[in-house]
Amino acid sequence: MHKYPHWPIHVVLSFISALMLIPFVWVLKTSLTGENIFSFPPSILPEDPHLFYYVDVWYTIPFFRYLVNSVVVSAIVVAANIVFNAMAGFALTREFFGKKAIIMLFLSCMMIPFQVTIIPAYLITKQLGLLNSFLGMALPVCSTIVCIFVFKASFDAIPKSLIDAARIDGLPDWKIIFRIMLPLSQSAIATNVILAFIWSWNNFLWPLVIIRDQAMQTLPLGLSRFLTVVEDTTGALYAFCIMVLLPGLIIFLLAQKQFIAGLTKGAAKG
Amino acid sequence: MLRAILLNRYTITFGLIAILAVVWNIYVHFNDDGIITGQVIGPGRRPVPGATVILSEKTLLVSAPRDETRTDAAGRFRFSGHRLFRFYLEASKEGVGRMPPKEFRLYFKGQNLRLDQALQLKEGK
Repeated sequence: MHKYPHWPIHVVLSFISALMLIPFVWVLKTSLTGENIFSFPPSILPEDPHLFYYVDVWYTIPFFRYLVNSVVVSAIVVAANIVFNAMAGFALTREFFGKKAIIMLFLSCMMIPFQVTIIPAYLITKQLGLLNSFLGMALPVCSTIVCIFVFKASFDAIPKSLIDAARIDGLPDWKIIFRIMLPLSQSAIATNVILAFIWSWNNFLWPLVIIRDQAMQTLPLGLSRFLTVVEDTTGALYAFCIMVLLPGLIIFLLAQKQFIAGLTKGAAKG
Repeated sequence: MLRAILLNRYTITFGLIAILAVVWNIYVHFNDDGIITGQVIGPGRRPVPGATVILSEKTLLVSAPRDETRTDAAGRFRFSGHRLFRFYLEASKEGVGRMPPKEFRLYFKGQNLRLDQALQLKEGK
């Protein structure tokens, strides 16, 4: 078999990657210099960079409070997603009456945008007495259909004999999930963690609807508030964006290997 | 098992972040007395005693005077106990000159600051 050199494709891919990084570099540069993004000629490297815009953001709004709120909500969402999605994913690996109908229902529900269901979601949350609370903010994203299918694909790849053996040993279903299936599905867990974290971290509309107390606001709401407080603060605004982006970026970079494995697992199956 | 947990990239990353936060907070704790010191010099680069130095708070939206002091015989001034991170300093002395408000920025509220460059009064209106 003829082998082609890899370097041309690497050069092209590196160039495309660099192009895709430009917006992020631009935001980072603006946060360090305060330079207007429309200034001409544009410069790639920051001139006279400093971190004072980050200090402005930290003190202008209660950033730490917003950060804690976002972390708490995201932690609830991530934990709930792993537990509920694993259980749902496991159920879908079993054979039962109406399984196909449920899968079709799940798939069709994925096509309904959240904005359509926001009023019923609000009324349910109100009935539960969870308005203006962390749990209320986490509730609608405590289980997501995409992540259920990620777990299902991962569980499908585990030999049935292993589950049968566990069952013969007397393990109940919930122990099979948490002691056997989950330890063998680390990539699916990583995918769940990243997706749930990012969705929760970036969630704007739902917290906006149910949060009334300023001290309960999350970072996206803080960003919106920041924009209403200040008008011409290019540097501080971009510094805020970097501060909001950074935790998600760190989580993604740490778990990217498992994340990609989790998304592709089962893709080549059958 | 313990080694695997400790040398995990998640533990290392978040551990390093936690250590940095602790170190930073210790540094802040020992450097947040809110002391600003400096010197005022005149047109001939000579120290100006008795000059008035005004400290104004600068937020993203407004600036407002917060403190005022006078320089000593060596032209030195000192503010203490401020809780600012962004402020203006201006200096003036009747018959000598004036320095218009100059912005200074700090990395945390109340950071101690010793001005490397003296505030220079210039003759004018």
